[in-house]
Amino acid sequence: MFRLLAAFLVIALGIAATLAVSTPAPRADFTIINGGDPTTLDPIVASWLRDIRLMRCLHEGLVRSDVTKDDLPIEPALAERWEVSPDALTYTFHLRAATWSDGTPLRSTDFVYAWLRGTLPDSAADYTSFFFHIAGARDFFDWRTAALAAFAKQPQTSTAAEQLWQHTKSTFRAMVAIQTPDERTLVVTLARPAPYFLDICASVAFVPVCESIVSRYEVVDPGTARVKWDTGWTRAAPSIGAMRLDSWRFKREMRLAKNPAYWDAANVRINSMAILSIDDPVSQAMAFQTGGVDWVSDVVAPFRAEMVAAKNAFRAEHAAAVDALRAKGLGPAEIDRALPADPRKNTHIFPAFGTFFWNLNCSPNLPDGRVNPLADARVRRALALAIDKRAVADGVRRLGEATAGSLIPPGSIRNYTTPAGLSRDPDAARRLLAEAGFPNGSNFPTIELLINKEQNTDLVAQAIAKDWERELGITTAIIVRETKVFREQVKNANYITSSASWFGDYPDPTTFLEINRTDDGNNDRRYSSKAFDALLAKAEVETDPAARAAILADAERILVEQDLPLIPIFHYVNLNLFNPDRLEGISSNRRSEQQLFRVRMRTEDSPASRREGAGGRAAAPTRIAPQSSNLSVPPTASRGVLAPAPHAPNPTDALPTAIAIVENRNSPQRSQRTQRKTRALASSSSSSSYPCSPVSLRVLRALRGKSPSLRVLRALRGETPSPEAKP
Amino acid sequence: MIGLILRRLIQLPLILAIIYTATLILAWKVPGNPLENPEGRRPAPEVVAAMKAQYNLDNFWSFYFSYLDSATGVRYLRHELSGESRQQREQAIAAGRLPPEQPIFDLGPSLSYREQRVNEIIGSALPVSMALGALAIFFALILGVSAGVIGAMKPNSFADVATLSLSMIGISLPSFVIGAALLLIFPVWLGIGRIPSWGTPLDMILPAFTLSLGFAAYIARLTRMSMIEQLQSDYIRTARAKGVSIRGVVLRHALKNALLPVLSYLGPASALAMTGSFVVERVFAIPGLGQHFVNAVRNKDLFLIIGVVLIFSTFLVLLNLAVDVLYRVVDPRIE
Repeated sequence: MFRLLAAFLVIALGIAATLAVSTPAPRADFTIINGGDPTTLDPIVASWLRDIRLMRCLHEGLVRSDVTKDDLPIEPALAERWEVSPDALTYTFHLRAATWSDGTPLRSTDFVYAWLRGTLPDSAADYTSFFFHIAGARDFFDWRTAALAAFAKQPQTSTAAEQLWQHTKSTFRAMVAIQTPDERTLVVTLARPAPYFLDICASVAFVPVCESIVSRYEVVDPGTARVKWDTGWTRAAPSIGAMRLDSWRFKREMRLAKNPAYWDAANVRINSMAILSIDDPVSQAMAFQTGGVDWVSDVVAPFRAEMVAAKNAFRAEHAAAVDALRAKGLGPAEIDRALPADPRKNTHIFPAFGTFFWNLNCSPNLPDGRVNPLADARVRRALALAIDKRAVADGVRRLGEATAGSLIPPGSIRNYTTPAGLSRDPDAARRLLAEAGFPNGSNFPTIELLINKEQNTDLVAQAIAKDWERELGITTAIIVRETKVFREQVKNANYITSSASWFGDYPDPTTFLEINRTDDGNNDRRYSSKAFDALLAKAEVETDPAARAAILADAERILVEQDLPLIPIFHYVNLNLFNPDRLEGISSNRRSEQQLFRVRMRTEDSPASRREGAGGRAAAPTRIAPQSSNLSVPPTASRGVLAPAPHAPNPTDALPTAIAIVENRNSPQRSQRTQRKTRALASSSSSSSYPCSPVSLRVLRALRGKSPSLRVLRALRGETPSPEAKP
Repeated sequence: MIGLILRRLIQLPLILAIIYTATLILAWKVPGNPLENPEGRRPAPEVVAAMKAQYNLDNFWSFYFSYLDSATGVRYLRHELSGESRQQREQAIAAGRLPPEQPIFDLGPSLSYREQRVNEIIGSALPVSMALGALAIFFALILGVSAGVIGAMKPNSFADVATLSLSMIGISLPSFVIGAALLLIFPVWLGIGRIPSWGTPLDMILPAFTLSLGFAAYIARLTRMSMIEQLQSDYIRTARAKGVSIRGVVLRHALKNALLPVLSYLGPASALAMTGSFVVERVFAIPGLGQHFVNAVRNKDLFLIIGVVLIFSTFLVLLNLAVDVLYRVVDPRIE
């Protein structure tokens, strides 16, 4: 028996030992939790925000958005300049002399190849329609679709499939208006003027891929003649972006390394980046607390409302300083940086490019044959007017989200003014309902609120149902369904009202508005308005950007002030966790776009600065003294202390006298591991009221500081409380 | 003995075929479309139709047989013998492409992890779960057997009630509570260990301990029960009468017989532990197999669902076989 146990032990330890061969790599300069595991690294397939964030590091397009500015202006990227013809149809891009990370020079044909991939009907690309802006792309798509259908009818051989693919490539060049006069020039002619074409060029779907490598991964299916790319290509292809893929260990971590061949490599401050795969929201927060993670992108821990409350309390304690800093034009993270150290300031609430709304089914009859009272726009308007959105945002969500009058988050799209929408007016709502034939809600059928079990919308639904019952006198029923059933029901308009949300894909109002077009695949509300469709069609051909924006604003006004196929409830925020004293470069723009290669670690204990800072100054620990009157410090100046910021005119000129160089927290001699631990201890022990913990945790933490055994343990490990642990 | 092993191994494909059919029918009936994202933009209908055709998702029977074809290696063999693979390889090389990779047993692509194949997912996750599970079962044996023996020595004593209550807590407390508490105490407060808890052998201790508690509690109860029974039997009394010490009786005679029910429990328990636990993997961020059982069903990822279910079934059959073999070793009377 015991021999048996011993044998078992040997087996168990044997397996463990074989696994132990994969010892963890040294800590990366910048370690993040990016919402979840990457789904794909294929730029034409990526549609998740978290995937797109990684794409921004690995790829780059002709142009890019400047994420440091709130309205994200377009700036040159792989194209160093471009010209637009007077008719706004032809764009001539002049590429810079860039090379891929394997040394291959970038050619204009790399764009052609990438855009061919994006236009093909073979691949299930979300953004194929983006390419239809280019003249001939739509025709090519239809031609290829027909060719594939014809192929399916013939006797299928692999030779014929191969020939069709070669023919397709030459047809693409012939049909689609993309010219490559030389290796560094790309001329694109549009089907019709699109003032937002540069914004589309900045999207991830339009980045080039290295043709010479990626074409080796083509797989032509002999049965259907469809082309796909063996998924191995994303791991093998060289990068044109700031980082290159170092390793991707599924469900463990992904590592990116700095791409020395990147054209702007001088401004990339991190040499390595690790993306950890931690799915559990509580474990994510704990990983940040232990110091193992520098940035958590989307915090969804159950106690996040408490985190937001603590952050707001912290801001309130320093209200005067915050106002002064804001008046100087500082961004939210920069304001936090100038405030005294406090773990509560690690929570960051940034706007997201998305809106939560309530779907109202507009079809005349429900699938089960019932007459739909919501087919009447007056009823829908009444339902919208009755909802207390403030109560939903502040009482239920408690994340500091702005209530929504419009579908598009205000200020998120350059030169576009969102309509105000309806504000709460229960009296008007009752009048409208009476007009529609239901005075005081009499004879009104029970309104069902369909929600998704996994999206935590139950309390929001209850708040809305309560408003409708109280203000309009109608009866409601909340129906909870599991995600897949929910999706099916909403897609088939098998509901009366349901929760819903939408996030913008590209910076144009159509990214939100088109889901209400009559024939759109995402029109779950079965909303059909001739006036609305006509405005969208009119905007499509309008060449003047200002006039076009006005037309689209009119269209949105129909949605949110007249017809109400959906009731906007609130605009989402994005909760981030990072220590502003250690990390800078996380953007707070209105579209939650990040270019993570722009980040920099500020303290000396980041390996990056240690490696970079061979000279004394960069390695010297610096921090703005919290007490000193440093409110006048411009943001670039504080960056300039460590190393000159890329675009600061002259950092030393900008340095006011108020900056004090403060003694650093950890002496450089200590091992990195101890520093991490100490940091974790320091941050938690200085926080008797640390925000992101439920009461029980807080109690335990309070006990921790007083427990003698733990103090002994710490003493044994040779740790002394760091100076900042005692404020 | 060899006959038993052979018989079971011959039964294995049959069992797997039945499980495959049942799983596929159930998974096929799950509502929803695996080719759509859980939220956000829907792909165009033509695109969905094309992808369905590509993966044989439009017809149950064509999926049923094409999966069997590739998963059993028949397709590989056929293509090799007919020279089709060679032709494809040559054609690819002639066109300047990499020759297509053709695994012998191809469990298909994953519909939710677009860049992984099920073979790769299981290949990377299974060793992790096996190591963790083996360690957890080892912990469970040590904890459970010693707790059970302590309890059985003096039934209804303080030690007995204490171990029984502890095992009750072990069964009732969900592992996400224990796991989160352990993470909070060790990595967050004491700075011992790290999150994510995977990479070095030491990282395995916390998750393996969490995983072991449920099994340990069950083993403790089994051991206690059969130990009490053994201690009251005649041969023990004889041994005691001959003057063997209590320690000797318990360790040398009673424990050996008392562990038989534990041994039969170990088969399914090891299969469970070694194919991963969703909760423990999630809390400790461990790249094991357990998360795929749940996530694959949630995403209606047919290939992955079938892949993990087949792996689990194989484990169950093989470990039960191992237990039966061990039974005969431990107790020669069993036929």
